[in-house]
Amino acid sequence: MGILRSKFFISVVLFAAVSSLFAMTRLGNIAPTDFPIRTWTGWAVDDFLSDKQGRPQVVFMGSSLVLVPVAGVDADYLKHPIDGSRHHQSQYFEDQFKRKSGMQVKTFNFGLPGEMPSDAYLITKFLLKGEKRPDVIVYGVGPRDFMDSLLPSPAATDPYQYLSRFGDVTSHRHLIAPEWDQRLNFELAQFVYPYGHKFDMSVTSERTIASILNKLLPAPKTDKPFTITDRRTLFPYYKQMEIASNEAFFRPTTPETRTFDNANLNEYKKRYARLNWRTFTHQMKFLADLMNTARERGTQVILISMPITDVNRVLLEKGTWDSYKKSLKVLAQSKDATFIDLGDSKQFAISDFMDTVHLHSGGGMKLLDIVAAQAAKDRRVMSALDATNSSIAGLKGGQL
Amino acid sequence: MLFNSLQYLVFLPTVFLLFWLTPHRFRVPLLLVASYVFYMSWRPIYGILIFGLTLANFLLVPFIEKATVNKKLILGITVAVNLVVLGIFKYAYFTMDAVKTGLGFAGIDWKEPHLHIILPLGISFFVFEFIHYAVEVYRGKPVVKNFLDFALFPSFFPTQIAGPIKRYQDFVPQLHIPVKFKWEYVDEGMQLILMGLAKKVLIADNLALVVQAGFAHPEQFSSLDMWMITYAFAFQIFFDFAGYTDIARGSSLLFGYKVPINFNLPYIASNVADFWRRWHISLSTWLRDYLFIPLGGSRGGKWLTYRNLFITMALGGLWHGAAFHYLAWGAYQGLVLILHREYEAAMQKIGVHEKLLKSKVYHWASVVFTFHVVCIGWVFFRADDMKIAGQVLSKLFEAPTALLHFSAAQLAVLQIRDPIIFPALVLILPVLMASTFIINWLNDKKFYQSPPWAVQVTVMVALMCLLTIFTPDSSPRFIYFQF
Repeated sequence: MGILRSKFFISVVLFAAVSSLFAMTRLGNIAPTDFPIRTWTGWAVDDFLSDKQGRPQVVFMGSSLVLVPVAGVDADYLKHPIDGSRHHQSQYFEDQFKRKSGMQVKTFNFGLPGEMPSDAYLITKFLLKGEKRPDVIVYGVGPRDFMDSLLPSPAATDPYQYLSRFGDVTSHRHLIAPEWDQRLNFELAQFVYPYGHKFDMSVTSERTIASILNKLLPAPKTDKPFTITDRRTLFPYYKQMEIASNEAFFRPTTPETRTFDNANLNEYKKRYARLNWRTFTHQMKFLADLMNTARERGTQVILISMPITDVNRVLLEKGTWDSYKKSLKVLAQSKDATFIDLGDSKQFAISDFMDTVHLHSGGGMKLLDIVAAQAAKDRRVMSALDATNSSIAGLKGGQL
Repeated sequence: MLFNSLQYLVFLPTVFLLFWLTPHRFRVPLLLVASYVFYMSWRPIYGILIFGLTLANFLLVPFIEKATVNKKLILGITVAVNLVVLGIFKYAYFTMDAVKTGLGFAGIDWKEPHLHIILPLGISFFVFEFIHYAVEVYRGKPVVKNFLDFALFPSFFPTQIAGPIKRYQDFVPQLHIPVKFKWEYVDEGMQLILMGLAKKVLIADNLALVVQAGFAHPEQFSSLDMWMITYAFAFQIFFDFAGYTDIARGSSLLFGYKVPINFNLPYIASNVADFWRRWHISLSTWLRDYLFIPLGGSRGGKWLTYRNLFITMALGGLWHGAAFHYLAWGAYQGLVLILHREYEAAMQKIGVHEKLLKSKVYHWASVVFTFHVVCIGWVFFRADDMKIAGQVLSKLFEAPTALLHFSAAQLAVLQIRDPIIFPALVLILPVLMASTFIINWLNDKKFYQSPPWAVQVTVMVALMCLLTIFTPDSSPRFIYFQF
C-alpha cells in the first residue's frame, strides 16, 4: 500500500483542507476586545478603549510595582475604596502635576500585575495609537521585569494572552518564543488555523454549548444562587486570573494602618534564581522597541527605575543590579527618554514599602510627587504635552 | 516527556523516521537510546535507576535458570532486590508514617528521618515486568541472552511510564523479526494515538474539573450530585488510562510492535470478576499469575482461596499508591470478589442460577449493579484520604432519601453554570454509558474492528480538528503516571 492509499495521510490532507476552509470563513473568530475572562488586563483594555475615556495625555505602565501604589494613593487621596477593575486613572497625579506645571492632564493607569516590558510593548504598539495616542508614557520598571526566572517566555503572562490578539506579533517571534518548543508552538499557531485560533474557537464553542444547555437545562431557581466566591472555593485553579467587578479594592490607609511584610522574599529568591541573560536582553529589547514605537508617534517616555528595598536588592546576583541600572540609563539616553532613577534612591526608606518591592500608598504618594515635579521640569515632557502640539490620528502637528 | 506534549509530537516522528531508515540490526539500540532519552528527559538521574535494575536482573536471573539447588532462594533474592527498590522509592514515607503512628499509640514519640525521595516515573510497572521475567524463568522459560533486547523490554518508551505491563515472551521475539515498513502501521497506530488523545484531552480532562471539585468539597454537593460526580470519576479514570494505553499501543504499532490491550469495555461487566477480566487487564493477569497463584490460588479450598483473593487485591490496591485509601480500595475489591463467589455458589445451590443468568433482564440488571459496586470502590481510590472517602460514601448512601424528596434545585451541578461541564454532565454521563453499549454492539457486528474506509478517515479528520482546538496549553498528567 502506497502513501496515497494511507488513511492517515489522506486524513492529514483533508485536515489541511478543512483548516484552510476554517481560515477562509474565519470560523469561530471573536473580536480581540471580547474578553471571555475578565482579568486585570481585560478590565484595563476595555476601559481604555471605551468612549468615556477619551484620549489620556499621560499613561502609566508597569507591573504591580506601578499599579499598587498609583491606585492606592487615589484611595487615600479620594478617601474612599477604589475598585481596581474600574478605576484606571491617577487623580492624585493629575492634581499634583497641575499644581507643578499649571497644566491639566488626563491620566490612564495601565499598570497590570505581572506586566513585563514585552506586555508594555504590546500595549504601546497596539493600543496607544491613533486617537488614543498619549503624549507621555510613564513606565516604571523593576529588576524582576527583566530577570524573572519563573517566567518561561514572554508569552506566558496574562497580559500577553489578550494583548497579542490586537495585532501581528510575528516580527518579534524570536523574542516571544525563544526555546525550540515555544518556537514550534508559535509557528504551528501561525501555520495551522484551528491551532492558532483555538482560544477563539473554543470560546465560541463553549458559548454555543452554554446557550444550548441554558435552554435545555436551565438553572433551577434557588434561594442560594451559585456565586463567583463559591466557584473560587470549589475550583481554586479555574480562571485564576479572573477578577470580578467590586472584588479587588484598594482601600484608604493611614500611616498607622500601613504595615511592612517581607513574606514575598522567598518568592523573589525563586524569581531571581538562575539569572537568564537571554530573558534580560530580550526584555531590554522589548523596552527599546517600546521606546522606538513611542518616539515614532511623538510620545515622550518617562522611564522610572522603581524603588525597591535593600533586602530585596541583595537577593540579586552580583553584578546584575549594576547591569540592570546601566542598561536602563543607556537605553533612556539613546532613545531620548526621560530617566528617573529611584532604584536605590535614598528618598525611599523601608517604611515606604508594604513588602520588599511594592510601595504602599504613602510611598506611592512620594513617588507621584517626584514624577510630577520632574515631569513638570522636563522640557521634552512639557513639549509633548503642549496643547498646541496636539495630534490627529497619531501624527503630531509637524508630521501632518 | 508527556504523550500529550509538544515534545512528544517531535520526539515520536523523529524516532519513527530514524527507526525505519535504520537497518534492522541497529533498531533495538536505536529504540533503547530513544527510550532512555524519553525517560531521562524528566529526571536524568533516574536513568541510572532503571539501568541499574535492568543490569541486576540481567545478571541475576540466569542463575535461576542454571541453578539445580536453591533455585527458589535465588528467585527470592531477585524478587527481593526488585521489591526493595520499589519499597524504598514508593513506600518509605508510608512505612515511616505507619511506624510513627504505631509508636505514637505506644506513647513513643519517634522523630522520623527527613528523606527527600521522589517517586521515579513508571517504577511500579517496570519492577513488575522484572518480577514477571524472573518468575517465568524460574518456571522454565528461557532467559534473554542479549542485553540490549533485555534492556529494551522494561524501558521501551511507549509502555515505560504506565504500561501495559508486558510479557517478555511476547515482546522480545518481536524485536527479532525484521519487519518491513507498512503504511498499515501508520494508519492503525495513528488512529489509536488520536483516539487516545481524544479520550484523555476531550473527555477525561474535562470530567476532572467536576471530580476535583466534588472530592475536595463533598459538603457542597447533594447526594445525587455526589453520585454523578462518582460516575464522572468512573469515566474519567477509564478514559484517562484507556487513552494512555491507546497512545502507548499506537506508538508501539508505529514501529511494528504489538503490546497487550488493557481494557475491554469494563463498564459492561456483569459481575466484579468479569470487571477484573476487562479492567487493567495486564495488571489483573499479572496479579493472578505472580501473586494469587503463588499464594496458592484456588487450590486450598474455599477459605484459603478467599484469603488469597483478599491478599492479592489488597496488595494490588497498595501497588497503586502508598496510602490507606488505596489499600482500602484493594481490600474492597477483594471483599466484593469474595461476596460475588459466595453469591454465585448460593445461586447454584438454589438452582435458579442457569435460568436467571440467561435472561436479558438479569444480565442488564447485573451490569447496572456491577457498575455501581465498582463506583463505590472508586470513591476509596479517588479520595485523598479515608476521611474524605467516608464523607463521600455517607453522601452516596443518602440517595434513597434524596430521591424521595427529589427536586432539580437539589442538584448543585445544575446551579453551577461555569464551568459548563457541570450542567453538561446530565447529558454527558448517559451518552458515555450509552457509547459503551454501542461499541459493544458494534464489536459484536465486527464493525468496530474494521470500519469502512470513509468512516475511519472522517473520524481521524474530526479528531484532528477537535484536538487542535480543544487541547489546552497544559493538560494534567495521566492519572496512572503517579503509580
